[in-house]
Amino acid sequence: MPNAAEQTSGSSEALLEVKPAELPRAALVGGNRSLSWITDKICGITEERAPAWWWWCFAAAAFVASFTVAGLTYLVATGVGVWGHRSPVNWGWDIINFVFWIGIGHAGTLISAILLLLRQKWRTSINRSAEAMTIFAVFCAAIYPLFHLGRVWYAWFLLPLPNSNEVWQNYRSPLEWDVFAIATYGTVSVLFWYVGMIPDLATLRDRFHAAGRGLRARIYGLLALGWRGSNRHWSNYEMAYLILAGLATPLVLSVHTIVSYDFAVSLIPGWHSTIFPPYFVAGAIFSGFGMVLTLVLPLRALYGLEDLITQHHIDCMCKVLLATGSMVGYAYVVEFLIAWYSANPYEGFGFINQAFGPYGWAYWVMIGCSVAVPQLFWSGKVRRNMVLVFILSLLVNLGMWCERSVIIVTSLSRDYLPSSWGFYSPSVVEIFTFFGTFGVFAVLFLLFIRFLPIMAVAELKASLPEAGPGARSGLPLAGSPGHARRSYGLMAAFESPKRVLLAAERVRDAGFRKWDCITPYPVRGLDRAMGIGRSRVPRGSLAGGIAGFCTGMVMIWFMDKLDYALAVGGKPFFSPLFAFPVSYELAILFAAFTTIGGMFCLNSLPKHYHPVLKSESIRRGTDDLFFIVIEKSDPRYDPARTRALLEGLGGAGIAELER
Amino acid sequence: MAKLFPKSANKLPVQIIVYLCVVGCIATAAAQYYMTPKYTRVGYAPMQPVPYSHAKHVGELGLDCRYCHSTIDTAGAAIPTSQTCMNCHNQLKAASPALAVIRESYQTGNPVPWVHVHVMPSFVYFDHSIHVNRGIGCVECHGKVSEMDVVTQVKPMSMGFCLDCHRAPELHVREKADVFNLDSGTIAATQGIEAARTFVKDWNIKPPVSCSGCHR
Repeated sequence: MPNAAEQTSGSSEALLEVKPAELPRAALVGGNRSLSWITDKICGITEERAPAWWWWCFAAAAFVASFTVAGLTYLVATGVGVWGHRSPVNWGWDIINFVFWIGIGHAGTLISAILLLLRQKWRTSINRSAEAMTIFAVFCAAIYPLFHLGRVWYAWFLLPLPNSNEVWQNYRSPLEWDVFAIATYGTVSVLFWYVGMIPDLATLRDRFHAAGRGLRARIYGLLALGWRGSNRHWSNYEMAYLILAGLATPLVLSVHTIVSYDFAVSLIPGWHSTIFPPYFVAGAIFSGFGMVLTLVLPLRALYGLEDLITQHHIDCMCKVLLATGSMVGYAYVVEFLIAWYSANPYEGFGFINQAFGPYGWAYWVMIGCSVAVPQLFWSGKVRRNMVLVFILSLLVNLGMWCERSVIIVTSLSRDYLPSSWGFYSPSVVEIFTFFGTFGVFAVLFLLFIRFLPIMAVAELKASLPEAGPGARSGLPLAGSPGHARRSYGLMAAFESPKRVLLAAERVRDAGFRKWDCITPYPVRGLDRAMGIGRSRVPRGSLAGGIAGFCTGMVMIWFMDKLDYALAVGGKPFFSPLFAFPVSYELAILFAAFTTIGGMFCLNSLPKHYHPVLKSESIRRGTDDLFFIVIEKSDPRYDPARTRALLEGLGGAGIAELER
Repeated sequence: MAKLFPKSANKLPVQIIVYLCVVGCIATAAAQYYMTPKYTRVGYAPMQPVPYSHAKHVGELGLDCRYCHSTIDTAGAAIPTSQTCMNCHNQLKAASPALAVIRESYQTGNPVPWVHVHVMPSFVYFDHSIHVNRGIGCVECHGKVSEMDVVTQVKPMSMGFCLDCHRAPELHVREKADVFNLDSGTIAATQGIEAARTFVKDWNIKPPVSCSGCHR
């Protein structure tokens, strides 16, 4: 086996010859901060007492949320007629708000998945809170279609469960595709969020444990599933995280595509358009980034996170707004072009009606806020003015709300027959319910910033400019020369990733098999230095994906063709075309499950008790130090000689672990 | 640093998974048994304002179903008026205290507050006449009412129950003379399935299985 170190040095020599141009890159963490500063900063938010503003905001949010509770209670008690929908406008604020919230939810997965694949490292400062935003937004969105059922306790009819009606769902309908898309999206988003949080939860666990706060240490401990920063775990973890990102990317694009099918597959002028999927996805990302800015800017100011969310981050987000806003504006223009070019009088009328009909005001707010406002972000002065950026981000979402209103209400209120035209205005119950969902969202988000790490601590550490070879941490701990009663092995601390990398190569070359590195973040090159091969997680993902897709196809064929052949609109009982969206979502869902399940199995987690977790040093291992652990069960292990080896490699604070 | 979790905690994940599987299986089985109309609806036998016994009137005395439920083969379900009862009971047991409610209804014209047993949801279109005129016997859905002292629901009357018959009518049809005979057998049982298929074909029985067949 060629030495890994030789390979790396060989490539760097080649680089020296070529002399690549140094590209100036903005620092992702300002102020030249250390690893432990990041830990202290983010974990401190959870550890300190809740600031006064938090309580005020929480009380206000809970009050606003009570409007949703009241609105929904009244609806359930009375009937869905309390919403102002009547023919021809059978979808009103409920679906506007559903699309509005789902759209907001898209930025989270975009930031965590697509930007990860595109190696946009600035995502690390905002991905955690954006993912939380996604989950809470999906939660708010799900309220609307569920309660639009009227009898919400029958919502389980949407799922393919055997029932006494002996009837199955109609998989030819995009509304049923929606069920699978939203459910998969919610589930995968939660998994992505949670899996990303595990190392940080472990950090919180060890900090609370060290501070003697046992209850919270145990709660975080349970959630951290016994994570100990083992590099063998990191290897599978990083692979699983990458695959999840790969799965979430087509997912995030498909979800809003399917939401747009709710409209595009119908025949209403103004809905029946092939431009809807890309136009909806761009709009969703646009509104989602607007919401991220709305949330992140106050957080940054209140918690003093200027070094973690730098001007560079805000610039990047503003530029995404500018790009997606322009795409949305382009889509508006193309819609008009299509309406004119198709020479369809209904289509043409529909668009003129959008701009100059009774709901014209919504159209012009939409144009103003969604097309004109983001153009201001061309100017660096605007991007540097935080108050202005905050206000503009609010306007973006106002514009996007109006866009959904224009699409849904304006199109429905005036379709083909003037005799069946109508006018819709929301009832008080609808207004209450919508107003309240901002409170629901805020309550959830405030709880999140109070109790969970609001930034991906481990990922931030990996993105530090000094991370990689050369980073230095504080003093290693004092070692203990004594022998543990029942020895597990030896643990040695290293102060920098570079040192642990070199030491790991030597331990590997010494022929040890049962040993591990403990690192606060995945150190690049450590897998190779330890001689760990490629992770086997992808095999499970592939199997899961295939199983999910086949499950979807077979399920739909069985339900709609074999078991209950239901004639709908002369469409075939089974066709892989209409079965595709649901099978696609199930492929992603199953693959996500097997990816995470496989990662846990390969890492044999959850494992809440482990000798390493018992040691004093683990608190630094999930913070800023790097360790090598050599197990006693390794055939080459010898207490004295192994200790000498670790000392020779520069290991400090060598201690024997108790089994 | 002391350990946060005991060693036994490492067994917990597997234990929890096994536990959840067991609970899941029990919950599924329980829901299947207790939460379907086969359990929630079958056996419903409400107390009626008048202790009218079908076993006495139909089983022993031999009244035809249609004597009281007179519009069943032309229009739909009909609960008899107190007039129908009084046809006999103005002579028989005319002073019985059990019949006080009937007599009062007869005099005032207010209906007897019978309790609805076989409740059909309002979003289902159901017409008795087409069923009894195409060989579906009373006993098929209502059971042997002729043996009941108190009318009891014996079939789940779920949508699945309807569909079972709508999908395979040949298993449930009987000779038209037997429709009101609660002791008769289906054609499939007495003459074989071929005869039943011929009956279905001859009488052009095409029960709808589309949504709008029943949810109009």
